[in-house]
Amino acid sequence: MTFDFLEMVLFAILAIAIVGAGAAVVLVGRITSAALFMAFTFLCMAGMFLLLGAETIAAFQVLIYVGAITVLILYGVMFTPQGSRDYGLFFQKQTPWAIVFVAFLAVPVMVFASSFQDGRPLARGGDLVPLATSLFGDFAYPFEVASVLLLAALVGAIVLVKRDDEEIR
Amino acid sequence: MPIGPFGIDPGIWAPLRLLLAVALTLFLVLNGALLMIYLERKIQAIIQDRTGPHHVGPFGLLQTFADAIKLLSKEDVRAKATDKAFFLMAPMIVFSPMVASFVVLPFAPDFVGADLNIGLLYLTTLGSMAVLGIVIAGWASNNKYSLIGGLRSAGQLISYEVPQILSLVTVVLVVGSLSMVDITRSQAGPFVNFLVLPFAFVGYFIAALAETNRTPFDLPEAESELVAGYLTEYSGMRWGTFLALTEYGEVTVVCSIMTTLWFGGWQGPGVDALPALGIVWFTLKVYVFVLAFMWVRATLPRMRIDQLMDFCWKVLIPMALVNILATAVLLLAFPGNLWPIAIVNWALVAALVFALPALQKRRLRTFRERTRLSAA
Repeated sequence: MTFDFLEMVLFAILAIAIVGAGAAVVLVGRITSAALFMAFTFLCMAGMFLLLGAETIAAFQVLIYVGAITVLILYGVMFTPQGSRDYGLFFQKQTPWAIVFVAFLAVPVMVFASSFQDGRPLARGGDLVPLATSLFGDFAYPFEVASVLLLAALVGAIVLVKRDDEEIR
Repeated sequence: MPIGPFGIDPGIWAPLRLLLAVALTLFLVLNGALLMIYLERKIQAIIQDRTGPHHVGPFGLLQTFADAIKLLSKEDVRAKATDKAFFLMAPMIVFSPMVASFVVLPFAPDFVGADLNIGLLYLTTLGSMAVLGIVIAGWASNNKYSLIGGLRSAGQLISYEVPQILSLVTVVLVVGSLSMVDITRSQAGPFVNFLVLPFAFVGYFIAALAETNRTPFDLPEAESELVAGYLTEYSGMRWGTFLALTEYGEVTVVCSIMTTLWFGGWQGPGVDALPALGIVWFTLKVYVFVLAFMWVRATLPRMRIDQLMDFCWKVLIPMALVNILATAVLLLAFPGNLWPIAIVNWALVAALVFALPALQKRRLRTFRERTRLSAA
């Protein structure tokens, strides 16, 4: 008795869940539900990474996207006034245009995605060491540049929200 | 024919092992929560010079069992204006990551659910998922107090995750592994990591108090200002799952992390001869920290939300960053020599201890000035 078939079953479940929840993010009317569906999609993506043997990336996926980004989005949603949002639905009324645009974009994406065909299996023992060497060795410079960019964005955000008001400070 | 452990066919052993592990974890979580609630009440009673629970069973030991039966038999009340799906989902989102955390805790040599080589990362990941459930609970309850509690908790948990992870990273730098078993094995002698990295421990301890929503950081459920925060609309066993099971389960998990990372986990006299003794040592060490948590709860008053954020972003995170930088540089400068790291870490602990009163004085001075200005 072996459990090799489980991988295919898990992949099927995860794939259906990702596509379904991804569609739900766009189609669901309530924005909080959309945020939660997005969290669910992220979780399923982490499951996909696990199936590929990239456990570190899966852990970071959950840590950053589910634990932090979704919560920040929910935070933002709750601070937004939930009145009449007809003006907010401007882009959701343009279905034909959206279909044309997506169809136009889908072709290069598909071609690009199917170019990733590497037959080499991942080395046993997890992806921690390969990830670390590529992040801090091969791609150290882009990594640092990205971190400086994020720092600049952070400082910019602080400057934007800072008030000159004596009372509040 | 291959024969697995206990002479059982490996094909049967694999699912059986899973079943056993889940059953054991649930047993640990449920009974641990009951025991810890009893301990909490008894210790608070002792500190406040009361008797505590003493009617049901010897020394009131069965009191929490009676409470659990009461919670289970309660009517499942849900206010009409709450959001049904989210309201029912929130306790599960909080509870399940906590249960899943038990997989990587090393109770004794070869007594681990799974020795993941990213064990520590896995634990922090699961810890960060609880925030989502709490925010959803606050939102779904359709109640101002719940919402404020949920949002406060989001701010608090995300903020305190930063010093928590930074403290863990220091240990990982010194040990050189993320696996809980490897970290335990690296501290074989009496020289546990605590002696080398005390500041990382202090930082983690404070952040862990905040992560588990315990006094002095229990702002998400502050009774005197928010009724019960995100728990306001919950009752019966949903409340029980949220507060009792999850909170005490998380306390167990963070105390196990402290035990494993800084105090040698299962290591102790006699473990080499009798590996099962490791469980005893591990449990004893974990419960020392659990008792410390309860002691802190009975002693310290709750912080205000601005003090909470100030302390995290202006004290804990900068010092943790200094610590991580110093540890990394010293590790490269003096390979194989932990003395410089230990000296820097103890200096940081001293700095934290002496800086806090000074900070408090400064805060009081500005506060007084402000009141004088507004009065004038």
